[in-house]
Amino acid sequence: LSSVPLQILFYVNGIYYIFYFLVTLAMIVYKSQVFSYPDDFLAPDLAWLFIMAILEVLRLYLGSKGNLTEEEAPLGLSLVITVGSVILSVYFLVWQTYVLKADVIINAVLLFTYGLESVLKVIAIAAFVS
Amino acid sequence: PPEIRAAARARTHSGPAPVTDVAKLCVCDLLVAQCDVNCCCDPDCSAADFSLFTTCSVPIVTGDSRLCSQKAAIYSLDVEANPPERKFKLIDQVNPSVFCIHATNYKQALYFSSPEMPISENFDQLLKQFGSASFSAEPDSWNMNTDAQNPSDVNETYRYEYGVPIQTVDAFLRLPSPFFPGFLVNQATKCTRSVSVEKCANIQAVSMLFYINSSILAVNITVQSIVVQSLNGMRTLLNGSNVLRLPLIVDELCINTVLGVSYHITYTDAGEIIEAAASFVLGAINKEVLSIQQSFEISFTQVNTKPVPLSGNPGYVVGLPIRAGFRPQGYPFPVEILFAALVLNTNKYSQLTILQSTSNQDCLAAQGTRTPILFGYNMISGCKLRITAGMKCQPLTQTLLDLLKGQSFPEYVASFGNSQAQNVLDWVPITHLHTSEQRIYNAFQSSCQIPVSLEIEVKWTKYGSLLNPQARIVNVTARITTTTAKRLPSGRERTIPITSSVVFTDISSPAEPGYKAWPTINAKLPFDFFFPFV
Repeated sequence: LSSVPLQILFYVNGIYYIFYFLVTLAMIVYKSQVFSYPDDFLAPDLAWLFIMAILEVLRLYLGSKGNLTEEEAPLGLSLVITVGSVILSVYFLVWQTYVLKADVIINAVLLFTYGLESVLKVIAIAAFVS
Repeated sequence: PPEIRAAARARTHSGPAPVTDVAKLCVCDLLVAQCDVNCCCDPDCSAADFSLFTTCSVPIVTGDSRLCSQKAAIYSLDVEANPPERKFKLIDQVNPSVFCIHATNYKQALYFSSPEMPISENFDQLLKQFGSASFSAEPDSWNMNTDAQNPSDVNETYRYEYGVPIQTVDAFLRLPSPFFPGFLVNQATKCTRSVSVEKCANIQAVSMLFYINSSILAVNITVQSIVVQSLNGMRTLLNGSNVLRLPLIVDELCINTVLGVSYHITYTDAGEIIEAAASFVLGAINKEVLSIQQSFEISFTQVNTKPVPLSGNPGYVVGLPIRAGFRPQGYPFPVEILFAALVLNTNKYSQLTILQSTSNQDCLAAQGTRTPILFGYNMISGCKLRITAGMKCQPLTQTLLDLLKGQSFPEYVASFGNSQAQNVLDWVPITHLHTSEQRIYNAFQSSCQIPVSLEIEVKWTKYGSLLNPQARIVNVTARITTTTAKRLPSGRERTIPITSSVVFTDISSPAEPGYKAWPTINAKLPFDFFFPFV
């Protein structure tokens, strides 16, 4: 059977990620106005943010499909992509040009969500395989 | 060895490392090895010094306050204790905002960048960038500026407004100043140019041709006069045709180099430029000269007027001479004077002037030196008159009147600093008053009355807005005071002081506030609001 908590978590994750994306983008714009943010530092930050958004969409779609169709392949792929998302979230938490307190808060929440999701995915894969 | 050289290079490439430890930073520590007064963070001060301070000039030293958490050094004086002692605390200051900087991975983010230290590798590049007379790049060709607005469709009669750049055939007229010379903006600038005798024929900007080459729209720039300056600085005006003289090398000297250009532009009152002339100062450069100073000037004159320097625009400026003039004879008063011009005295020494005191205080020996009356400056001057027995009354009276009033005492004074001669109503007539010093009516009035003092009282008012009041002359009164000169027995002489003075009185009425009208609600009912009933 599909895991209901995982599905709920995907849904919440989707909404939260939209919020996260908009807030991070707004804060990068704010930082570029208030601080000295030269172009060769601004470009990688923006690039990673957009890559992260694409990965997130892919990840949530595959995870949701795998959970609903009770197949472990898309779910496994989603788990692999989650690793990439985690690394990007850590980038925004630690290796960004300017890390504000708000950045720390939203990235921490995102990492916590990823962690919870990963655990539930592993459980779901285990359930589907057997 | 190369390692030491590389290390030395690295060391000299940047300046000393900046101090970032908050506990060691002290902005008020200016004197080396001495205690600065009221500087609580100065390490040179002892406890005895601290007990003499009244307050701490630098109470807190922090890093960038945008960081979430930063160290702060707090210095305070505990005045309750006896003797007063300094307290030092190192705390962590927390920024409560959610947008405080938690961390940054960009080294130069929060610090000023240190400028490059010149070493042998980057010296040439730094010299090219910063080594000339000014840091901003000089435009390559002056009478062309392709970055400026494109000259719009130019027709033959282009009307200018104040401050608008003057168009030449393909671009705008330029002087070596940061700004374009605007229409009606008189400017004078100087600049230094590096030259050499060998290359003087090649440098465009020292040749006359460069300055008269462009024509202002339909008007060619003519050469008005050429003054030649010799090597020892003596200037001579060249007579004869004003022909173009190009730089030439003669006997190791480069002659005919342009040292100064003065443009005179004539305009009509519709704002069109009808004439442009340039006067040049040409000089000679010898081998030792490495740079010359060129001066440039541009001035605007209205057609059919003589250029009279304004004393304010429009209100008089304190310190500038009062403009005065006469009404020429034969003009009836006042309506027909639309076309008559007041004859203005362009020579400022024959304007409204006052006797100038000389070191030799004898009135009759005075050469008649006069000083112009400057707006806002009250002046008093005088001399001593020695009357001997043989002096006749009438010539003495006339001499004294000439002395006090000067040769051509004007009839009118301009009410504004920029009053034009054509507007007669802008000019204030001078009122003459005569008073006699005698209080008691003397039966011997037939005796000689000689003028002893001239008091000019100029009443002015502030005119216009409260924020930028303009001075306007309202009334000018010239009061001559006479006294009786009693006939002296022969051999005796008497000294009378003669004075003349100018007083400026401000008769401004207090400012009236001008309020905007209350906003009204402009609500009208539609025409057929009460339709069925009306």
